[in-house]
Amino acid sequence: MIINVILSLISANLLIFIIFLSKKIQKIKNEKCVLDQQLVQSQKLAAIGQLSSGIAHEINNPLAIINQEAEISLHLLDSTNLKFEEQNKELKDSLSQIKIQIKRCREITHRLLSFARKNDPIIQQTDVNALIEDMALLVEKEAKLKSIVLIRKYSPELPLINTDPPLLRQVILNLLNNAMQAIEKEGEIFITTSFNPSKIEISIKDTGSGISKRNLDKIFDPFFTTKPPGKGTGLGLSICIAIINKLGGNINVESKEGQGSNFIINLPIFYTF
Amino acid sequence: MENMKVLVVDDEGDFIELFVKRLKKRQIDIIGVESGYRALDILKKEKIDVVLLDVKMPGMDGIDTLREIKTKYPLIEVIMITGHGSVESGLQGMIHGAYDYVLKPFDLEVLLNKLKKAFERKRLKEKA
Ligand SMILES: Nc1ncnc2c1ncn2[C@@H]1O[C@H](COP(=O)(O)OP(=O)(O)OP(=O)(O)O)[C@@H](O)[C@H]1O
Ligand SMILES: [Mg+2]
Repeated sequence: MIINVILSLISANLLIFIIFLSKKIQKIKNEKCVLDQQLVQSQKLAAIGQLSSGIAHEINNPLAIINQEAEISLHLLDSTNLKFEEQNKELKDSLSQIKIQIKRCREITHRLLSFARKNDPIIQQTDVNALIEDMALLVEKEAKLKSIVLIRKYSPELPLINTDPPLLRQVILNLLNNAMQAIEKEGEIFITTSFNPSKIEISIKDTGSGISKRNLDKIFDPFFTTKPPGKGTGLGLSICIAIINKLGGNINVESKEGQGSNFIINLPIFYTF
Repeated sequence: MENMKVLVVDDEGDFIELFVKRLKKRQIDIIGVESGYRALDILKKEKIDVVLLDVKMPGMDGIDTLREIKTKYPLIEVIMITGHGSVESGLQGMIHGAYDYVLKPFDLEVLLNKLKKAFERKRLKEKA
């Protein structure tokens, strides 16, 4: 009798234990899955980074020469007589256009170089709330014009962290920019910071278009963009993830089509490179 | 802040004059010029640690100047000054290697702190 009770107690406990264990295993599996994805992502980035930095270097030199020639031509036009005023103006316009387009190309090559850059991060003690606020102020004027409100929820006790400030600024600015573009007009961007003993969390959440399930896997791929040609290069998020990985952290996204997006960054507090 | 040498570049002469005066009062070694071309001239001659650079200038604008500086003198840190804050120029600046941004009008203490951090970074790079 007693033995039966004990046995059933043990088996019940065993069952609970097994359930507990299988849940744990499932969780580890999920984590492994995430890590695998991150590994694939970073390998992909490394490969593309190498290739594109090579190309970017090769293209930068001819670009510089074209730019110089355009400038010389503009100067020459300035010093020739004004007999053909109309043609002169047209020539000038077209040379200026060349310069504008060169600028665009150069922007892209710089971006490519920036995420292939081998330079190690330079680690400084950083007040992340202040850093984010600076970037928020930088975008706020434009946000207001589009009736986009920035709502800050900075953790007042957020510890200083060891990180590379200009790299982190670039990430925050890119995420804020994406959020604004996703909202287009009228909406909110929630900027939140929080922490636990080993890391801090930054969340940038918008009430914009959201991301379809199909696209969610691709948004970190270099050159993936849903923006019209000339509007986006699709390098913003791939630069972000390359930077954050370099800083020992990661980025996660929660988003549903039509329901806004939340980009969550985790960064270690004590980062040793 | 010891031994830090600063160059400020802004096309508004009045601003430069006042700013240089205020920083000198704080014992900071500082030179002011009114264009990107002048800035590049100064950099040829002087050993500058941190450049404060106005984004919007006629002729060679802030981003052009930044790019030139970063190509020729990668160790120098550059802080961009902007009057109206634009996402586009903000992104451009960061991509071309700016250290930070300040919005005009700014608090002197805030700016001094940014200068200090930029200088610290330059020192760290020199050691590396
Ligand atoms: N906050 C967001 N809400 C909705 N979609 C987003 C958001 N952020 C990114 N996306 C999607 O991810 C794509 C890739 O973003 P990414 O920043 O890499 O490039 P981009 O913004 O298109 O171009 P670039 O940043 O180079 O100007 C975007 O085109 C968009 O479809
Ligand atoms: Mg983007």
